[in-house]
Amino acid sequence: MSHRTGTALAAGAVTAIAFKVVVTVVPRPAPDVVWVITSSAIGLSFLAAGIAAWRRWPATRLCWLFSIAGYLWLLPNVGYLPYALTFTFAGLIVNAYTAALAHLALAWPTGRLRSPFERWLVVVLYGWNIGLSLGTAFFAPGCRTGCPSSLLLIHPSAAINDAIDAWSVPGSVLLTATVLAVVVRHWQQARGWSRHVLTPLVWIATAVVALSVVQTLNMNLTLPFSQFAIDDVAPLILILGPAMFVISTVLARTARGAVGAAIVDLEPGSSPGRLRDALALAVGDSTLQLAFRQPDGGFVDTTGQRLNPASPGRGRATTPLAGPDEAVLIHDETLAHEPQLVRLTASAASLALEHSRLQAEVQAQLEQVRASRARIVEAGDSERRRLERDLHDGAQQRLVTLSLALAMARDLAAKAEPGLGALIESASKEAREALTELRELARGIHPAVLTQAGLAGAIQALAERSPVPTTIAEVPRQRFPAAIEATAYFVVSEALANVAKHSQASSALVAVRTPPGRLVVTVSDDGAGGAAPGDGSGLRGLGDRVAAAGGVLCISSPPGSGTRLEADIPCP
Amino acid sequence: MSVAPAAAKLRVVIAEDAVLLREGLTRLLRESAFDVAGTAGNAAELLRLVRSRHPDVVLADIRMPPTQTSEGLEAALEIRRRWPGLAVVVLSQHVETEHLFELLADDPRGIGYVLKDRVADVAQFTATIRRVAAGEAVIDPEIVARLVARPRRDSPVARLTERELAVLALMAEGRSNQAIAARLYMSAKTLETHIGNIFAKLGLPPAPEAHRRVLAVLTYLRR
Repeated sequence: MSHRTGTALAAGAVTAIAFKVVVTVVPRPAPDVVWVITSSAIGLSFLAAGIAAWRRWPATRLCWLFSIAGYLWLLPNVGYLPYALTFTFAGLIVNAYTAALAHLALAWPTGRLRSPFERWLVVVLYGWNIGLSLGTAFFAPGCRTGCPSSLLLIHPSAAINDAIDAWSVPGSVLLTATVLAVVVRHWQQARGWSRHVLTPLVWIATAVVALSVVQTLNMNLTLPFSQFAIDDVAPLILILGPAMFVISTVLARTARGAVGAAIVDLEPGSSPGRLRDALALAVGDSTLQLAFRQPDGGFVDTTGQRLNPASPGRGRATTPLAGPDEAVLIHDETLAHEPQLVRLTASAASLALEHSRLQAEVQAQLEQVRASRARIVEAGDSERRRLERDLHDGAQQRLVTLSLALAMARDLAAKAEPGLGALIESASKEAREALTELRELARGIHPAVLTQAGLAGAIQALAERSPVPTTIAEVPRQRFPAAIEATAYFVVSEALANVAKHSQASSALVAVRTPPGRLVVTVSDDGAGGAAPGDGSGLRGLGDRVAAAGGVLCISSPPGSGTRLEADIPCP
Repeated sequence: MSVAPAAAKLRVVIAEDAVLLREGLTRLLRESAFDVAGTAGNAAELLRLVRSRHPDVVLADIRMPPTQTSEGLEAALEIRRRWPGLAVVVLSQHVETEHLFELLADDPRGIGYVLKDRVADVAQFTATIRRVAAGEAVIDPEIVARLVARPRRDSPVARLTERELAVLALMAEGRSNQAIAARLYMSAKTLETHIGNIFAKLGLPPAPEAHRRVLAVLTYLRR
């Protein structure tokens, strides 16, 4: 719909109101001021709602329904003009606005009538109204205040006119009741967002019907209400019609805010089910479904139900989400009349899904990196074990055999040739030296005692070798997985090496504790303190090594108060 | 190398997985007047040999197949359980004390724990086997040296004189009083005074027998 429509609607509204004020105030000596204000307000509210509805839902007929109701309310004012034609025309459409109101109520909130029956009902309503007005035009005897007489007057007869009035009541009651029943039925059948926006309508329709009942009864009976209250003030209740529009706008706006808040509140990594629940609650559409494309091409919602987004069912609409997940939102059809809300909900949903997806991806990658880091360390360890074993089984054994052979050769040679004996003795000495060096080398590559005797034996050996007096406070005798033992050993070995090299400590203390699920290695000294990772002390490498085992290394080394190093390693 | 009368030959069973070394040891011991009653390449074979050949002394490498960790030690412990008092000399490639204490824990008599390198010093090595076979406990001097030299703080060991430390080390190696006195050129009486002083300074209960003394002293040094 073009901008011109809006301008036309606005111009029409201004003209209609101005005309109304002029025709009701100017020609009369004593205008009913309250009524002028009341009825102008009612008409204006409908015309304004028409413009607002055009701006908000340009694709629906709601703007026309509001506008038509407004014009039908105001147009009969032409009857105030002193012309027979206008008077006759005004007489014909004087009550047509009630049909427009019923039309609006039946078409709410989409602007479309839902069934052929309802379309018939609307036609009958307009027909009934105009038919009754025609009856009055044919037979009403005319007013006493000197207004123009109807051009359609056939036979002025108060009796016929009263009969029409009396006999029309049951028909009017039946039609009104039918409209009310249909509206209530709409409300009953509605779920989710539809019900949300239909609830105010039910109350408003009931109030308007009550008003017309009171007005009708007042014509025939004497009610304990003042004429002024019933005729001049009570019709203000009609403003509730446009109010319905305001309420729906507020609902949508609140929902938009709620969607934002729901996304903010949603915990990171929440399941799609949680996301759906949060969105459904925020939008106020309990029927909201979030469905994902499956590898087989079908869609499954968050409760595991299969569904087809291409035919979401009666009164349902599908909104695809942006992003690689190929997800869709399936929601109440009427929600589609709040495009902003749907867009916001959809983008909030894709944002949350994307967030979860990225988070899961990062988590998975982190897990992979962790696992590969642990594997690399483990591979290094096992390579060192293998090297040590090769040295032991190969070179070391051969050197022992060699020195044994040399010893025996020396004994033989010494008898025959003393010089040769001395030469072999020096070779034998060399072989023994080589053996000692090789033993230290193998131990440095991987301590066999760790494999053979576990942490207790290996830490004992470290303490015995440490140049700084080292006490072992406690070490469990049990065995742990090789990777954990190797890490713990590495921690103690490096820590004691640091104590010897940097700390100027006079003693060190080693403890290994096993709280449930963990292995905690503590090495402390009474030295100078001030150790920090990255100062060449190998603490960074130690931290990496502990982290590779999934653990944490804590260093507390205040200058002057010794160093305390604690490795907390997960241990099944 | 003196050759003892055939009747006094000690029956030895050797367990060593490296074939060349096993052959070398066999030759060495035969030449040194031992009766090598059998050789084994792994712990199971060793146990079978001990059962069938009734050796006087067992010589076993600590690391043997299949796991190359401490099969020889396990076998030694098993032998001591089944044939209490049977002399066992284990050969270790490492200067670690862990296995040593496992082996000494029950009864240190007839236990030898030496580094494999010692085989090159034929005289000392064969003497070690004979001492162990005679019921002594023999601990490798290098291991003892490390325990004695271990840095300590506020330890009574620091209050021992140099002479007392030398005595302590020899006690830890499993030497008898006679051997210690001869090695340090001192009289038996002087030695006893030193030993009394050492035990008093360390707060150890007096242990007159050499083999009991070994464990007490080693345990103290290891602390």
